[in-house]
Amino acid sequence: MPQEILPPLSASVRVKPAGWRFGLRLWLPLFLLWLLLIPLLILALPLLFVGSLIFRFNLWRSLRAANGVLAATRGSQVEVDKRNTRVFIKLH
Amino acid sequence: MHDNRRQILEMLAQGKINSDEAERLIAALERSDMPALRDTSAVKYLRVLVDANDEQEGPTKVNVRVPMQLLRAGVRLTGVIPDRAREQVNEALRKEGISFDINKLTPDNLEDMIEQLRDLSVDVDNERAKVRVFCE
Repeated sequence: MPQEILPPLSASVRVKPAGWRFGLRLWLPLFLLWLLLIPLLILALPLLFVGSLIFRFNLWRSLRAANGVLAATRGSQVEVDKRNTRVFIKLH
Repeated sequence: MHDNRRQILEMLAQGKINSDEAERLIAALERSDMPALRDTSAVKYLRVLVDANDEQEGPTKVNVRVPMQLLRAGVRLTGVIPDRAREQVNEALRKEGISFDINKLTPDNLEDMIEQLRDLSVDVDNERAKVRVFCE
């Protein structure tokens, strides 16, 4: 499966609150979140289909575009360093 | 590039050059085109760097890296907006004094814009903060 259509599969989070001697290093397996959300999406599909007929939008294109936005967040990185507090988040 | 390649193939067909020479010429052509190709794919991220120094809050540094792919995906998302909603968006923009037609926002136009962003660099420098926005 090409990487362009996959949502971020994991996130690296590093947090060091002020006053803490050591920071926290977390690796969040986001793919588990997507695995949990897929059944919910399947359940919601009939509702989305009805909504697409009422509001006249292309459901397939919308889902693809939404997934595209999600997939495009891969590689995003945010780093904030304030006094003794540090936060670093990176989506893989 | 295609014209040059065709020219080489025509020269080969006319017997002006042999197959080895044609191969060497095509290889040279590909080599000469490679830096240009690399350049067009170079704009990958939008970077925002903030270096603030507040009297009360102290120094703060922010470093954000946003993939350009997100911009492309966002534009593709505008493609699914129903026509009626597009008109409403355009109308709302006009009311705010922004004459922008979102119907003209297409992936093709976006590539041109991203290409132009390569040279973009915004630097804001004042007493309290330095902000730098650029593409890399």
